[in-house]
Amino acid sequence: MQAEIIKFLGTPIFGIFLSIAVFLIGKWLFKISNGFFLFQPLFVGMVLGILILVLMAKMLGVGTTWFYTNAYLPGGSLIIWFLQPATIAFAIPLYRRNDIVKRFWPVIILSLIIGLFLSEFAIYGVSKLFGLDNAGIASMLPQAATTAVAMPIAGAIKGIPAVTAMACIVNAVIIYALADWLIKLFHLTDPIGAGLGLGTAGHTVGSAKALQLGSIQGSMASIATVIISIVADIVVPLFAKLVGLI
Amino acid sequence: MSQNSSTEPKAAPVLIQMGIFAAILFVSSLISPLFPANFPVPTPVIGLILLYGLLAFKIIKLEWVEKFADFMIGLIAFLFVPSGIALTASLDVMKDQGIQLIIVIILSTIILLVVVSFVTAGMMWVVKNVFHQNTDISE
Repeated sequence: MQAEIIKFLGTPIFGIFLSIAVFLIGKWLFKISNGFFLFQPLFVGMVLGILILVLMAKMLGVGTTWFYTNAYLPGGSLIIWFLQPATIAFAIPLYRRNDIVKRFWPVIILSLIIGLFLSEFAIYGVSKLFGLDNAGIASMLPQAATTAVAMPIAGAIKGIPAVTAMACIVNAVIIYALADWLIKLFHLTDPIGAGLGLGTAGHTVGSAKALQLGSIQGSMASIATVIISIVADIVVPLFAKLVGLI
Repeated sequence: MSQNSSTEPKAAPVLIQMGIFAAILFVSSLISPLFPANFPVPTPVIGLILLYGLLAFKIIKLEWVEKFADFMIGLIAFLFVPSGIALTASLDVMKDQGIQLIIVIILSTIILLVVVSFVTAGMMWVVKNVFHQNTDISE
């Protein structure tokens, strides 16, 4: 059975087709529901994609993780690779508001350092409140950084890198779905603040969201994704030492 | 956005734009492994800094890269779908503390957004009222 699956589904086109199909279904649902927030194309695409893979694995009688790795990943990883040029593309919205960067760069850097440090306390508190063990807490602390930075930090402070990667993904999905509502709820009216917040909490997807709000928000979110990763490299291990995780 | 409508500069052909992106990513991928393992700086982060630097020092022009960049940014939600689907592989990890983890991640996302935004707004207030600098910004 496994040999047949690899023969018919092991080429990249299955993963690529499934990804495009579920995303388009998400777009269609979003449109006909007049923009209901749970029908965000990214969220629908993710949930539908996971469901289809789990169901197909069940029907074919193979393990879900095995099916994901051998049938979906060849195509999926091709699309994931294109996140690299998409990430460096954010240099353009950043440069378009270089006037803001030049005037406020000390505020930007200080705000991200202080903001991340204070957030770590809150995240630590929330993790304790919900009864996560030490490995769970350590996995939650690095999530402000981009996935490629957050995972090795998690490993270094005795967390589980896979859980941290999951956190980075869920961050982006949540911000993509709820950013408009959260910004209204908490009155995040300062364009520089909202931009830095969206970039920190939602990574590159947050930056795309911020661009829809305005050029300043988009520019600030882009710079936040870069600086917060470098800040996290330093602040997160320090904080972990401070609270005795390592 | 930044173009003047009267003399709109001509965009570079899309293959050239892709070539510039590929060159920057290639150079970045050579720089990234030079960082120590306990201070990781991934390829795309270096690439973003390089591309921004090249633009800021006027070595490359905005119209050489912006069309492809806008196209890629427009695709970002789709490009992220496979990362979301990758959670299929972590369904096992979530069995033990799954619901708590998801709740903590959602709350952490909100914490990061709100705390960073408020700290920045506070810093802007300090700049304006303590250092008496002009903080007016034009949209």
